Amino acid sequence: MAYYDDLIQHANFLSELNLPNEPKQVDLRRAVSAAYYALFHLLTTEAAQKWRHQNQRARFARMFDHGRMKTCSSRVSSRQLPVDPDEIPIAEALKLVADSFLKPQQDRHTADYDNSKVWSRTQVWEVICEAEDAMAAWSSIREEEIAQDYLLDLMGSR
Amino acid sequence: MILPRGVAQPTELIKHLNALAPFPSGVVNLRYTFDTDWSGDPAIFFWITLSDDAARRAVLSQNSRRITEFITQRLDPIGQWGLIPYFNFRSQSEQAKLKEEVFG
Repeated sequence: MAYYDDLIQHANFLSELNLPNEPKQVDLRRAVSAAYYALFHLLTTEAAQKWRHQNQRARFARMFDHGRMKTCSSRVSSRQLPVDPDEIPIAEALKLVADSFLKPQQDRHTADYDNSKVWSRTQVWEVICEAEDAMAAWSSIREEEIAQDYLLDLMGSR
Repeated sequence: MILPRGVAQPTELIKHLNALAPFPSGVVNLRYTFDTDWSGDPAIFFWITLSDDAARRAVLSQNSRRITEFITQRLDPIGQWGLIPYFNFRSQSEQAKLKEEVFG
């Protein structure tokens, strides 16, 4: 199983700990963080797979920067859908990935750094759903040209 | 530096936010706050309390997406107001216990 799949599974596991009783904040916070990093590592791993030298791929994946990935995703998120009806489903799926990247990223930051914020299970499940939906959408478009452009733009080009 | 329209014209934005009601089914309460996000970009945070039925895990994703689309299609926070929207969902029974002010 890929690392990003393990991470999303771990997020689910943490979010369900202590059921049916009240969750511990530490479990919910770590679940949010794991859900974001599942999506982060999926995208950076996908990009690194294109790097020809296999022994340099992990290094390549470390070149991604959260801020630049946010800027790129925000741009895709606000982009108008194409006019060509054949292109709309692919563009919608990419928009879903970009939208879903922004939200868990903000949540991850809050979960990791703001201890005053209290999380509920529903909030965390929604973050996990968002990451899972984005991962599924990505798998349906990963070989499309606009998806490959997105990977490149995530590095901060343009 | 150009201020986003949502920051420069808050009264106008609040008028549009008030016009969102009535909310989609499943929404018990909807509040919002203006702030910057983790990287300093202007943002609008929505704090949405769902009925316990709408917050069930089996239907949560579908309901949160439906509500998110309802708001983004009517308001277009990034395109029209220059604010990145962030949506937070909680169930009514969770909010009854946690009583967090931001959710109302």
